[in-house]
Amino acid sequence: MKKILTPLIAIIAIGLLMFLPFYTGAYFLHVVMTILIYMTLSLSWDMMLRTGQLSFGVAGFFGVGAYVSIVSFANFGINPLFSIFLAGGFMAVIAWALGFVVLKLRGIYFAITTLALTTVFSVIIRNTPRLTGGASGKVIPNVIFQGDSSKIYWLILTLALSTILISEIFSRTRIHFAINSIRTDEIVAKSTGINIFKYLIIIFIITAAIQGVTGAVYSQQYGFVSPETTFSLDFLLLPMAMALVGGIYSTWGPVIGAIVLGFASEYLKLIMPYGHLIIYGIIIILIILFLPKGIFGSLKNKIQSSK
Amino acid sequence: MKRNIGLVLFFVVVFSLAFAVDPIKIGAVNPLGDITGNQSTKAMRLAVKEINDAGGVLGRPLELIVIDSELNPAKGAAAIERLATVEKVDFFVGGMASGVHLAQVPILKKYQKITVWAGAASHQVELAMGPDADWYFHLHPWDYQQGEGYGIGWREIVQAYPNVDIKKVFLAYEEGAFGTDSYTAYLDLYELAKKGEGPWQGIMDEFEGASFKSAALGGGDYRAMLNQAMAFDPDLFVWAGYDADAIPIVAQAKEVNFTPDLLVGAPPGWPADFGKNPLAENVILYGMWAPTLNDVSPVAKHFYDAYVEMWNEEPATYFAPLGYTNIYFLVEGIKKAGTMDKEAIISALRTIEYESPLGEVLKIEPSRIIPNQGFKYQKILQWQNGRQEVIWPLDLATAKLAYPFTFGK
Repeated sequence: MKKILTPLIAIIAIGLLMFLPFYTGAYFLHVVMTILIYMTLSLSWDMMLRTGQLSFGVAGFFGVGAYVSIVSFANFGINPLFSIFLAGGFMAVIAWALGFVVLKLRGIYFAITTLALTTVFSVIIRNTPRLTGGASGKVIPNVIFQGDSSKIYWLILTLALSTILISEIFSRTRIHFAINSIRTDEIVAKSTGINIFKYLIIIFIITAAIQGVTGAVYSQQYGFVSPETTFSLDFLLLPMAMALVGGIYSTWGPVIGAIVLGFASEYLKLIMPYGHLIIYGIIIILIILFLPKGIFGSLKNKIQSSK
Repeated sequence: MKRNIGLVLFFVVVFSLAFAVDPIKIGAVNPLGDITGNQSTKAMRLAVKEINDAGGVLGRPLELIVIDSELNPAKGAAAIERLATVEKVDFFVGGMASGVHLAQVPILKKYQKITVWAGAASHQVELAMGPDADWYFHLHPWDYQQGEGYGIGWREIVQAYPNVDIKKVFLAYEEGAFGTDSYTAYLDLYELAKKGEGPWQGIMDEFEGASFKSAALGGGDYRAMLNQAMAFDPDLFVWAGYDADAIPIVAQAKEVNFTPDLLVGAPPGWPADFGKNPLAENVILYGMWAPTLNDVSPVAKHFYDAYVEMWNEEPATYFAPLGYTNIYFLVEGIKKAGTMDKEAIISALRTIEYESPLGEVLKIEPSRIIPNQGFKYQKILQWQNGRQEVIWPLDLATAKLAYPFTFGK
């Protein structure tokens, strides 16, 4: 029964999401698009975390992807849609090259180095004004699909669903066991014959590419890049908070976290124009304090213990 | 009897509904957690209250619907979508931060409602908006206009004060977009000045710049930059950074004994109570408004007093009178058009001259790209005895320029 039910629910959910533009307004669609963008970042951050590596490079990879897309379109006339793929490919190559250096590091050293990468990328972009527009950034005359909200939504939805699919592949294939054992005890994992570097670099490349593509889509949606907004730490801190609230080391934790925090943020703003960010912060702290495994992790535990 | 009363009440309700007047809806997007957006919103609410107390516009009351942009581009863009589709506003007003506004531009273009925008000074916004947006009115001077305005101002000051001599200009700029854009604009103006053209001709024979890391972004040590400036020995020293840099820059300038004849700060906002710091004395600043304008402008005084009375606080940023201007300018346009027809209001807004609480008359002229630009220049102000005195424009001056600069005790 479960074998039929799960794919059925997935098909219905995807169908509902696909047809969302036909039965909802532009505002709700916009909010959903923003949630899907952060969900993708949150999930990709969690995928790296599952290896035991805490990456703070999300905003950096997001920002470079955004710049590759806008610059390749504005300077070289590359098709916007193709520029998004190009951003993903570029980020994969960058991550592959960087991986040989940063993946030798562990723990806080890896975290700080990936955070520093964001600053390094930003400084390079600020200092190449002819290519990138420098500190003031770059705008393009038209946003992707001429601003058609439905088409932009489908593009973002495709990206989010692809990320969920990749995450599920990681959870359901033998990669999952390799990743888990690396996180649990690297020495034991190594002694059992797991090629730690191979798995780490694969995940690092894939997550960086996802983050680069997300940045590219976001920049094409709004039609501009600037070092201050494109490399904003919002693109690191919010996805992290979403994963922590939803529950780390799983696909559905970051997804649930993004939905809960995304809608809570928007709803709180409407009912409480002043001070809503304080309440929002308190909600995040309370969930992390009282549900240390996140919403999904706690629910899963409860269901399992009731069986 | 009871039946009759019920009947009367029924007719009262029916007639009230039948003759109820729909309000004119204005949608505002401001960063409410920031002092600029917070005070601008309060000033907008003041303007709406005054207009409604006076009978509204075209016989209809105004309704202001405000959404927080949180200084986040995606949130700012979603706010415009909500105002257009859920709240169904007639006009858009706002807002601050070029990064947020750039994300709003595609959405504003989608709806093409009449928009009067107070802030967002980056020329990139103008580039994104393009020349065809006749429904878009931008009030704040663009970044390049500000550089031109300062040149015009200093030239007039040099003419008005024979003892003031400006030949060498040094610009210290924070390394982010704001500072770097300022530097680029100065470089362009310097190139013109070298050819004997542009607003800085005759007062910028030599120019040099140096960047610094703003205290707002983790910096705070300006000594290397100040020593570079001291070696250049400028007549006019300008720093373009953030409010967090204001006190440390002056303190460290005093520490390294750097006393240019004119010391100017050009941050978008100043720290609260900067004027009470002894180091503030004689420091020059650029801005669109100062409370001392109350001495020379009845409109400024009316705004100031009404704001204090309504909110029990003093307006501390020029975004407050700018927000007030934002609403009044739009309403004057609707009044002049005498209709809610979009084209008629656009035509009216292009021709009205609104005497603003910023001390000057707001009238629309084309800028480099967009057809509807409001204010062109900022003012040159100086801290004197804890007050921001207006030095230029000369016709609005509230005090004489204290020259040369010396550190307060």
